Amino acid sequence: MTHLTMDQLLELDEPGLEPGTAQARAHLTACAACRAEYERLRQRQARLRALPTLRPARDRWPVVAQRLAVERRRRLVQRAAVAISAIAALLLLAVSLRPAAPARDVEGFAAEAQIADLMERSRALEAAIGAAQPDQRVVDGRTIGVATDLEARIADLDRMLEVQELDAPPGRGDMQRVQLWRERVGLLNALVDVHVTNARNVGL
Amino acid sequence: MESYPLANAESVVARARSGDPAAFEALYRAFESPVYNLARRICRTTEDAEDVLQETFFEVCRSIGQFRAEGSLWGWIRTITASKALMRLRRNKYRDADELPDEVPSAKREDTALRMDLEAALERLGETSRAVVWLHDVEGYTHDEIAGMMGRTASFSKSQLARAHVRLRGWLGEESAS
Repeated sequence: MTHLTMDQLLELDEPGLEPGTAQARAHLTACAACRAEYERLRQRQARLRALPTLRPARDRWPVVAQRLAVERRRRLVQRAAVAISAIAALLLLAVSLRPAAPARDVEGFAAEAQIADLMERSRALEAAIGAAQPDQRVVDGRTIGVATDLEARIADLDRMLEVQELDAPPGRGDMQRVQLWRERVGLLNALVDVHVTNARNVGL
Repeated sequence: MESYPLANAESVVARARSGDPAAFEALYRAFESPVYNLARRICRTTEDAEDVLQETFFEVCRSIGQFRAEGSLWGWIRTITASKALMRLRRNKYRDADELPDEVPSAKREDTALRMDLEAALERLGETSRAVVWLHDVEGYTHDEIAGMMGRTASFSKSQLARAHVRLRGWLGEESAS
């Protein structure tokens, strides 16, 4: 009698009916040796399933977490780059659809930047004058005269700037405003010299 | 088949989907051991198994949005683990004992006098046949599923399993007297 092979024994537990399985089952019923072999196979499989769970010697989570963080940063940078590219493309499109705009816009941006800088310098100079407390100092008549003249000219410039801000149409008169602010800074510098440094050095 | 329930699994998965790092770590802590165990049973070295553990969880955390809630979380993670481990085998190209020859050496030519324990016998199998034994007999994958993961045929998986059991039987001293 030919005993069942290992393939045939394993096939007995597989789902579905392979050709020859019914015949193998019949043989198994009749053959004690094959039944013993089949039982040993099943026991071996049960012992495999009962083997202890192996555990890692090291904690690998910090490495995984670090890789995830790097991956997340990389994705954020990619998204930001895509967003910036999209915005740049839209701006370019908008500019290209308005042919008259670029030259004026560039000039306007430059003027605004200069005015912002001059305004900041004006504020700093006014702060320096305020810190010197000129009203509480004893000064000679010439110094008072020079300071009064400077303050009057600054007041004139302020009125002109106010008119420019209110009346000039958007985008026009930018360079005039820059010029007015420059003059204002110059006068404030002179006033600082009068109050803080030395009124005799002001050559007005 | 063994399962590894995770307390508040739905909540953890939902938080992981929104990118919560604490949820990622909870997944790792819950499935670290079964993932490593499966990887170690397939891979040759502990270092390879640890790499598979790391790669598996990197993939799990990245792809958690693709997990379908109606499926088994462990089943999904286990498939990723098995794929990573088998990929590692292919990459390492261990060929020494992988392809069992057509003519299986008789048990008498092997050291039947040496009765091994099951762990040692399993370790002695070639990598492919050991992977097939573990995936089929322990993890419960079908030959079709194993064939799909290995890029081979179901017949290849069946023959690897049968030959591996013949060898295990000899090494464990379970030869029948007849």
